[in-house]
Amino acid sequence: MKSDRSLVGWLAAPAVFYLTIVYALPLTWLLARSMMGPEGFSLVLFEEFLGDPFSWRVIGNTLRIAGMVTILCLLIGYPVAFALARARGVVQVVLLAAIILPLSIGVVVKAFAWQIVLRRDGVVSQFLVGIGVWSEPQRLLFTEIGLVVGAANVFLPFMILPIYSVVKLIDPRLMEAGATLGVSPVSRFFRILFPLTLPGIVSGLAFVFSLAVSMFVIPSLLIGDRFQTLATLTGRSFLLMRNEALGSVTATVLLVLAVAIVLISSLLARRVGRFA
Amino acid sequence: MIEPFLEVRNARKNFGPTTVLDGVTLGVTRGEFVSLLGPSGCGKTTLLRIIAGLTGADVGDVRLDEQDITTLPPHKRDVGVVFQNYALFPHLSVMENIAFGLKGRVAKDEATRIAARFLDLVHMRDFAERSVRALSGGQQQRVAVARALAVAPKLLLLDEPFSALDRKLRETMQIELKRLLRELGTTAIFVTHDQDEALVMSDRIAVMNQGRIEQLDTPQTLYHAPATSFALQFVGLSTRISGQVIGHQDGNLILIETRHGVVCAPGNFARGSQVIIGIRPERISFGMLDGQNSIAPQLTDIVFQGARVQVHFASAEDEPIILESSARLPTNLASGEAVSISWAPEDTLVFPRDVSA
Ligand SMILES: Nc1ncnc2c1ncn2[C@@H]1O[C@H](COP(=O)(O)OP(=O)(O)O)[C@@H](O)[C@H]1O
Ligand SMILES: [Mg+2]
Repeated sequence: MKSDRSLVGWLAAPAVFYLTIVYALPLTWLLARSMMGPEGFSLVLFEEFLGDPFSWRVIGNTLRIAGMVTILCLLIGYPVAFALARARGVVQVVLLAAIILPLSIGVVVKAFAWQIVLRRDGVVSQFLVGIGVWSEPQRLLFTEIGLVVGAANVFLPFMILPIYSVVKLIDPRLMEAGATLGVSPVSRFFRILFPLTLPGIVSGLAFVFSLAVSMFVIPSLLIGDRFQTLATLTGRSFLLMRNEALGSVTATVLLVLAVAIVLISSLLARRVGRFA
Repeated sequence: MIEPFLEVRNARKNFGPTTVLDGVTLGVTRGEFVSLLGPSGCGKTTLLRIIAGLTGADVGDVRLDEQDITTLPPHKRDVGVVFQNYALFPHLSVMENIAFGLKGRVAKDEATRIAARFLDLVHMRDFAERSVRALSGGQQQRVAVARALAVAPKLLLLDEPFSALDRKLRETMQIELKRLLRELGTTAIFVTHDQDEALVMSDRIAVMNQGRIEQLDTPQTLYHAPATSFALQFVGLSTRISGQVIGHQDGNLILIETRHGVVCAPGNFARGSQVIIGIRPERISFGMLDGQNSIAPQLTDIVFQGARVQVHFASAEDEPIILESSARLPTNLASGEAVSISWAPEDTLVFPRDVSA
């Protein structure tokens, strides 16, 4: 049935054509642009960029924010994924809707909503003053904490859903079997549930980290211009500063980071799923 | 009186409006192999889960080895379980599965030694490093048994462990498991809905019906003197005919009128009682004999079974009258003809009949 298989290959043709036009060609141009010196090929742009302490601060900002967003999503999302997988009937429908529906609200709308929440006179500030944690109202907007909290909210579904899809497949009797073997609840979690959910955790981490490392709109609205990440800097270079050289370099660095994340996480996933 | 090793007292369990266990009391002696035998849905798994602590009973208590374990969580009970679907840990190898409960209890090399011993006991030595997902049903079953036994539980519970295996493998596994448990001296409760399995393996059998234990006895007693008509029906083949007590004879015999004629049986029923009589097929023979119960039903089928032959006769009841014989059959038996058959009064089992049902 050789002909069948080659036919199957053709099914991907529209996608390949589309991605070539809108994605591969511009990307190639971008990469080429970043390696173009005054006289043809050169890495001088990278040398310049990486020689500047400001660039390292930007790279640091990018990784730190993305890391914090990812960890926050994991901490919040992991128990939610279990609740979702073990809930029944109406509760499950409501939970699932609460997680999926926000995806249909635009990022810009959500970011503006967070602006309201994080303002000096916003809900969070009033609440913390009310319960006496803060002595006077403070502004969380335009701080790193505000950015991390807001971004985690936007990306949370991308952590919950892959973990949920793994938890759903775990036979609840495995935990019972562990119990009848005399293993305590905490050990059962670390020796049974945790390893079985690792593939879900790894894909959730990869999803959220790659989204968070390249987010542009959310930092623009929640932290502003004084704080730059690779993505915001790329945007500024092209849109405001008209500096194609800088923009193509920051974009390439970001691309390399993203590819590295995907590769590492797929290696990790393969290793943890030893028998999967 | 000495206390049984395991004792379940008056366990009741409802799931919503349905009563699943309706006051179960069960005592098991140390080293004994007891089967819970009953149709699907009668509450066998629920009773096992209550003993293991995986489900709480609404009422009743559980004692094991002179200790009240009713409120103890499962990991503190020392009760091992072989689950119906085995529930092996898919992320671990065969060896790691068997050693799972040993980790943290004994030193590491001791754990490896014990796990290796149980790996040998269930003939899985060559599979130590395999993923449990790559095993056949019978192999998974062996690993599940080894995993549960490796921690030396006081009591082992097995929930229909052989139901997914084909018949031949099942018979091998029955013998292997019985031998293994005897060697280790493990007390075990074995759930099955297969009466042959229960008869072959058990020291005693508890026949369960609708959330109750109807009889707890040795296989011999259960077969020859079933306590209820359900036990009669569920264990072994039998012919059942309904009737009414019409009088008494000396020697504790009663006379019962049935649609096949008047039958004599031992029993203690008042005149006019509605009863069901039961006869085991191998107790019935051809011909008419003095002092025996004789009837002449119409022959319908002759079923050749190799060593034995079953002969079916039309009955006034829903199910046929069955005769089973390993002797040579009389010649010129033809279906459609009335044939005389007989059995001894003392082989006639009598049970009260619920007329309202
Ligand atoms: N968790 C549960 N929730 C509701 N009903 C249940 C639950 N577990 C068992 N049942 C019901 O209890 C009855 C007995 O179940 P079970 O103990 O599994 O029977 P068996 O093992 O003898 O087949 C069944 O009717 C089953 O539907
Ligand atoms: Mg069951």
